[in-house]
Amino acid sequence: MSYDTQLITLIEYLQKERPEKHFPSLSDLSILEKWEVFRGLCNERKPEPVTDVFLEIQNDFLTKWNREETLITMNDMTAYTPHLYLWQGDITHLKVDGIVNAANSTLLGCTRANHDCIDNIIHTKAGVQLRLTCHQLMTEQGRSEPIGKAKITPAFNLPPTFVIHTVGPFIDARGVTPLREKLLRDAYYACLQVADEHGLSSIAFPCISTGEFQFPNKQAAEIALETVKKYIEKTSSQLKIVFNVFKDEDKHIYESLLTEGV
Amino acid sequence: MIKRANFLFIEQQDDGYLLYMTPELQDDIGTVGFVEFVDADELEVGDPILNLEASKTVLEVEAPLAGKIIAKNDHLNSEPALLNAADKNENWIVKLTDVDSSAFAELEDE
Repeated sequence: MSYDTQLITLIEYLQKERPEKHFPSLSDLSILEKWEVFRGLCNERKPEPVTDVFLEIQNDFLTKWNREETLITMNDMTAYTPHLYLWQGDITHLKVDGIVNAANSTLLGCTRANHDCIDNIIHTKAGVQLRLTCHQLMTEQGRSEPIGKAKITPAFNLPPTFVIHTVGPFIDARGVTPLREKLLRDAYYACLQVADEHGLSSIAFPCISTGEFQFPNKQAAEIALETVKKYIEKTSSQLKIVFNVFKDEDKHIYESLLTEGV
Repeated sequence: MIKRANFLFIEQQDDGYLLYMTPELQDDIGTVGFVEFVDADELEVGDPILNLEASKTVLEVEAPLAGKIIAKNDHLNSEPALLNAADKNENWIVKLTDVDSSAFAELEDE
């Protein structure tokens, strides 16, 4: 099946799940426009079971779609020390053992249709199974995910093997407080611990809590780097750690921190 | 004597150590809407004591000291917002015993 046929099949399935809603016609939409329709439907989809037929088509589609861009391996990245790497770009293009998802306390992925956040894109490209798996973990836990902890799941159709989900602190009008600094440290630390517990050899972090959660970029990067270094020192972990930045601003901050102080 | 650690006050009383909320922690988390105590009675430093969900955060409150829980503020289960109260008789979390007094002495003063 072509991308076009696969996307139409997937979209029609997801639309049928919501008989109350009227959807515009798909004809005349480009492949990319169809992808956005598919993504929006996945984002809003409740964590309910899905048919094997849907999964088969979705998995076939996503594995190919996610590899349209050249995948980035550890060898492609700039190493500042044997442990610390920096790379700028989309975290879903990384072929590392685990990528970290900056999640929210529901841990179910972003539910705002087509919202451009990492939680949204990771869940969409992993496939609907990721939300189902997270939902199961959260049902077992019986309460929301605390800030500064970490949970690991398969990455399903994404290039890495695992996704590690963590919730960073949110910064409101009161600004950064000692508790929020501690929680950001905890988030990085918990991800590293989970990665080592599961025998990962490489892990990529996005900038946790910056952006939507409004943690100041430079301060967040300093905390990230300090925490990672402390972890390696304390545990002698062999993990290779990637700071995956998206914005130029963060790239410059990490470049200078990694160059100055390693 | 009152100390502070892990964003909590720890007050040494005749029959144990009372853990209660600092105003800073209250400001940081917002109005508490849900709490759940852990089942454990023996705590090590850093062990979770209770999980709370508040308007601004979801937080696992960690033990600042090792010890044995001899009392829990059970009122919090039905009225979680007591954690936002100013009075320690309302916003206390647990009372500990078997606490190492030198570990307590090393904590930051109030």
